[in-house]
Amino acid sequence: MSPAGSAHERTEADTKQQAQTNENRRQMQKRQTRTRIIETALKLFAQNGFARTSTLAVAKESEVSHGTIFAHFKTQDELIIAVIGEFGDRINKRLHELAGGRSRLREVLKSHLDGLAEFEDFYIRLVTEIRLLPVEVRNTFTMIQSTVSFHISQAYEREEGHLKKLPVHMVFNGWMGLIHYYLGNNDLFSPGQSVLGRYGEELAEYYINLISRD
Amino acid sequence: MKTCIACGMPMENASDYAMGDVKKDYCRFCARPDGSMQSYEEKLSSLTDFIIKTQGLDRQVAGSTAKAMLAKLPAWS
Repeated sequence: MSPAGSAHERTEADTKQQAQTNENRRQMQKRQTRTRIIETALKLFAQNGFARTSTLAVAKESEVSHGTIFAHFKTQDELIIAVIGEFGDRINKRLHELAGGRSRLREVLKSHLDGLAEFEDFYIRLVTEIRLLPVEVRNTFTMIQSTVSFHISQAYEREEGHLKKLPVHMVFNGWMGLIHYYLGNNDLFSPGQSVLGRYGEELAEYYINLISRD
Repeated sequence: MKTCIACGMPMENASDYAMGDVKKDYCRFCARPDGSMQSYEEKLSSLTDFIIKTQGLDRQVAGSTAKAMLAKLPAWS
């Protein structure tokens, strides 16, 4: 092989590598933009609710063009679903870390509240507006709830001897009913501050007492 | 950390995996007693039953939610 030939090959290889680097950089930027849009939307949905947050507002706050939003999410619903999916991933991961293994029901309930407390404003918007959101959102929410109900039912079954004999779905729904009542009426229970921060501990203790045998 | 391709559960410890085998891509809840992965029909029916048992949803609603859940997972998409 002539020196000129190998130099040529090297240039070609360099060009290919450069193109690959540029492609990787573009992909990374695209991912970062997507993440930024999701984070911003999460914040705005928490502040103003789903119905009152426009894609234009999300674009402005994320410092991207309105068109960029639609390059990442075909419709507003798709953006909402992505945001709720992200929320679900985080809360489930946290629940799995904190409540996985052999935790007692009391710990599982507290971990659930800890996870929700991080997203309290967003979660309140989600549960109060869910009937107005597309069916896919409702499915995503049921999926998130499945992870919660999985950990609760596992812990309940492990401690069966100490707890009242109740249908598993009632143990879950009773808990959800209680915390959603406080979250949905946070303006009455805890105006201007976190309702879970103020009552979370009491709610978990009350609930455990309610379903304990002795 | 891997997540189960058939139900999405995070698999942290070896005991989360089918037959405790970390080389597998599915969890112990998605395995048959012999260690092979459940079929779509088996998973759909067990997930539907799980939603009814733990959340008390209507059977038809639970079934369509289970279908939507499975559609998002790599094993069934």
